[in-house]
Order: sequence, then C-alpha cells, then structure tokens
Amino acid sequence: MEKKLNDLIDKALSRRQFLAGAGTTAAATLVVGCNSSTTTPSPTPTPTPTPLNLPDNDILNFALNLEYLEAEFYLYATTGSGLSTADALAGAGTTIVPPNTVAVPWTTPAQAQFAAELAQTELDHVRYLQGAITANSGTPVPRPAIDLTFFGPLAAAASIVATPTFNPFADPNSFLVGGFTFEDVGVTAYAGGGPALVSNILLSGVAGLQAAEAYHAGSIRTQIAGGAANTGDATFLNYANKISALRATVGGGNETQLSLSSIVAADPTNALGFSRTTDQVLHIVYGTGGGAGVSKGGFFPNGLNGKITTTAS
Amino acid sequence: MATLETQQLDEIIVKTRRKMLTMGGAALAALAFGGTTKAEAQSTTTPDQDILNFALNLEYLEAQFYNLAVSGVTIDQLPTPIPVAVNGGTAGSVTLKPSFAKVPFVSSIVAAYAAETATEEGKHVLFLQKTLGSVAVSMPDIDLFNSFNALANLAGIGTSFDPFASDQNFLIGAYIFEDVGVSAYHGAAPLIADKTGVLPAALGLHAVEAYHAGLIRTVISAYDNGVSTGPLSTMTQAISAARSTLANPDPTMPITSPFTTFAGTTADDLGVQSATVSLNGGSTSATFTSTTIADTDLNALGWSRNSIQILAIVTGNPATATAFTGGFFPNGLNGTIS
Repeated sequence: MEKKLNDLIDKALSRRQFLAGAGTTAAATLVVGCNSSTTTPSPTPTPTPTPLNLPDNDILNFALNLEYLEAEFYLYATTGSGLSTADALAGAGTTIVPPNTVAVPWTTPAQAQFAAELAQTELDHVRYLQGAITANSGTPVPRPAIDLTFFGPLAAAASIVATPTFNPFADPNSFLVGGFTFEDVGVTAYAGGGPALVSNILLSGVAGLQAAEAYHAGSIRTQIAGGAANTGDATFLNYANKISALRATVGGGNETQLSLSSIVAADPTNALGFSRTTDQVLHIVYGTGGGAGVSKGGFFPNGLNGKITTTAS
Repeated sequence: MATLETQQLDEIIVKTRRKMLTMGGAALAALAFGGTTKAEAQSTTTPDQDILNFALNLEYLEAQFYNLAVSGVTIDQLPTPIPVAVNGGTAGSVTLKPSFAKVPFVSSIVAAYAAETATEEGKHVLFLQKTLGSVAVSMPDIDLFNSFNALANLAGIGTSFDPFASDQNFLIGAYIFEDVGVSAYHGAAPLIADKTGVLPAALGLHAVEAYHAGLIRTVISAYDNGVSTGPLSTMTQAISAARSTLANPDPTMPITSPFTTFAGTTADDLGVQSATVSLNGGSTSATFTSTTIADTDLNALGWSRNSIQILAIVTGNPATATAFTGGFFPNGLNGTIS
C-alpha cells in the first residue's frame, strides 16, 4: 500500500509540475501526462467521473458547515466582517450578527494576534475542506445561513444571564467564551467523524483538523482558567462552565468542567479525548435537545447544508 | 476525465499541497525521492499492536518526565504506582542528573498544569498497557539528562539544559515532547486497521496531546508577554527547527550543531512565533499579525509524521539513519517499531 502511495505521490508531483510549469500548453498536455503515467495507457480518458467515497464527502460537508460557523465568528471578531463571497461559495446564506458588530476591542496585542490566528486557521479549514471535497469528486456546500446573535439566547439557556444580551464581540473575555463554545465541539466532531471515513488520506486530513481544534481548545481553556486565577475573577470561567454544562445536556455528556487543575477535556478514566456523533453535534449547534427530527435552529436558523442535517436521535 | 487514478492523484495532491507550494522544482524531485526512501524503510503491514506499542514507548517517556517534574519520583514509585515492567519483561532505567530534584515550581498555575499533565500521561500509559494486554512492552531505558543537554547543543540554546531547574525550563521541556506526540498519533491514525476499536482511541490520545501542546504553547507565549522574540519563544523556534531538521534531513546539508535555523528539506514544525495572515473578511483584504499557538501546516492542519521521523526526533538521529538509539532512548525503543 505504501509503495503504491509513493508511486502515486511521484505521479501526482509530476502532474502538479505540469500544472505549475507551462500554463495552457501544460493544460493541453495534461491529459497526455495523466495517461502516460498510468500503468495501462488508454487513448481517451474515462468520460464520466465516478463519484468516489460519497459518504466521505457527506462527512466532509458536515464538517465544512461547522468550519463556516467558526470562520464567520473569528473573522467578524478580527476584521468586523465575515467570509468573502468567493470563500462562502455561490448560493451562500446570510450571516446575522449583533447590531453594530465591529472587531472586538482588544486590550493587548496578544489577544488580537491570537484571534487573527483563529480566523486564519478556520478560513484555511474552510478552503481545505472545499478543496478536499472537490478533489474527491464531490461538491462542497456553500455557507448556510448563520446566526451569531444566537450567543444571546444560548447564554440565557445556559443561565449565564437572565436576558439574552450576551455578546461575544463585546470584549476580549466574552470573545474567549465565544470561542470556547465552538472549539471543544470541533474536537469531538472530528473524533467521531474520522473513523467513519473510507479514505485514509482524508482520515489524515481530518486528524489534522482535529489537532488544530484541540490546540486552540487547549489554548482557550488555558486562557480562561488562567485569567480567572490571575485576576481572582471567575466570571468568565463560570460562563464557560455553564456553556459546557449546556453542551453536555444536549450533546450527550462528553464534557470536562474547566478549572485550573483540569484544562484538558477528556474522559477522566483514561484521559482520552471525547468523541461525538453527528446527532450530538447537531443538537449542540442547533441549540436544542429533543431527540430525532431536529433539522435547524440555534446557530443555523435554516439548518446545515448537505446530507447530514437532521438528527436521527 | 476523472479516472480512478486521477482522483487518487487529486487526493494526494491535496495532501502534499503544502510541500509543493513551498518548494521549487529541484526540491520537489528530492521530496519524491526522499519520500520513497523513507516509506520503504517502514514496515508495510504494521499491525495495530506495533503502533500502540510504539505509542506506549512515547507515553512512558512523557509520563516519566511529568511525574518526575511534579513528584520527584519515577512512575513506578508513585503512591499509586504505574507499572514499568509488564508481561515478564524487564524495565529499563531512567537516567537523571546527579542530585536530581523535582521542579521548584514558583507559579502555582504552572504547577497545576504540570500536575494535570502528569496524571493524564500516566493514564495514557495505563490505557495502552491494558489495551495491549499480553503484548504490551515494558519501559525501555530513558534518559532525561544527557538527552536534554544534547538537544540544547543541537538547537543552539546552550551547552546544557535542565528542564527540572525552573518553571520556565519545565515549560521548554514539555514543549519538546507535546507537538511530537501530536504528529506521531496523526501519522499513525491512517495506518490503523481496526477503525472501530483502536482508531477512536488513537484519535482520543491525539486530541489530548494537542490540548496539552496548546496549553504549553499558550503559557510560553504568556511568559514572553506575547512577544515572539522573547527568550522562551526564541528557544521554541530553535527546538522546532531542530525537530524539522531531524525529521526531514537534507543529505546534502549534514546536520551540524549548533544551528538555530532550519537546515532540512522541508520544515514541518512551527515554534511559538508570529506570522502575518491575510484575512479577506467581506470584500476587503487586510493583513494581521497572528500568533502560532497551533503547530500546523499551510492548510492549518496539524503536522503528520511517520514512525521513522518520530524515531529520529526522540533519539536525536536524522531520519536517514539506519539505527535509532540515543537521545531520550539511549538503547532504542521496545517493540517492533524501533
């Protein structure tokens, strides 16, 4: 298998050099180049693409919806606006943000730089998944309608505030709680999605996505817990834990209460990271429990795009 | 025009896109050649148990480091001992500096992080031992003294380095391990045959290493007040350059020490540093300075390393070596992948 992979890598690289090297001439020779690199040359390429690993593309499109959500949140926090039209793809839904949303008023350069990293990371993930789906003979879904004002009702549901006024763009600490809302969910979603993939190449990609989410989740959890310890003010630590409790309620448990001595979200028995099913993830981002048949709500007022959109349990 | 093979090619292109974007033609040829060489040195039919035993060696190393830092004793001497000799095997020894003592933590926050990590890495050892059952390997010889000194030389951060000397040194010691663990589990994941039992566990271990790495990198950045030229951040950049070079050695540029800049064929590691990102929010594009809390590639994916690359880093040999002893494992790893 590895030998074959390496042969394929060699061929892919040579093909890529064609593409990079000689413009339209290379494009004209590309078909020839492809065929000459196969073990059984044929006079014409196969005319109709046979979709490969369709279930894989469904999983990747599910993940793409989540990455759109994260990218929108961090881009608004950093730049005051969301994904470009090109990145959102044709047919994209609109994103609702709290009135007068501009970039978060950072108080230190480090805060702004961390937010910029998050924005760039999630933007890269959007582009990576779009490319991976296309390369796997699939069609990446456009950004669905996204509602970033849902943080307000979410905070109310989590008993953070009595009225839905929590705004993650209001200040750096609120921003961290906003990021906290998403990152651990991303880790668990990729942990659940990875083993379901047919393609080992895509599995590696998903593991890479999982790592990035866990790096960021680890950082955000460290900053929230460390901030509370340094200032003696546990307000935002308590917010985060209320969000965590709400996620546990609708998302099948899989949460670790955050504290200075408990940064990592993992199974207390064996210290393995948690995993969630698509149903559990949907319940969290739709902001509701309620078993089967939930198809929209919360951060996604019109539901996700793609095939995995409705809870089965 | 999409044949089965061209679709496979596209998948591979996606995976190797980062390398291709950052490399010129000659380097591309070297990559193709180097990739073939590396992969052929590996077993093509690595059983899941071999992979898990490989991971167990790494978890022994991490568990010993953190528990020694926190408690001052090896894991088999803890109040609730963690076995180091299993299945009738003989445990290796742990080499420490003369007059070793646990880290004199000043910051209660860093001490808390260390304690949590020590506990979790210990649980990883126990989990892997239990999962592997009768085929689990014992702990190999581990060196936590000469290894750090050699690595310090290699990374150009001094003639010696004691990770147990202070809060800051402890953080750098932890930095050396965590990103490596992330890339090791990532590289192993697609090779695992049992996708219902073993793979989910490996991804769970993978996530926790990345949580730890994110924690450590965040605290290091905070110690430097977010200044990427600060002393700790500068050390991480040198260590990452060393890891990259060991994992991706350039045969035409022999590794000489000390060096502070990357000297291999392709960099697969980012220190705690600053980067410039271009975010086209809405219709306008603007550049921002960003952190590099996550150690990721140009697609913002965590790095993946194969077992040879991991062996290279933890034993301090270039990945082109034919034997992997030295560094943290003076007599090599136990198990098939060694």
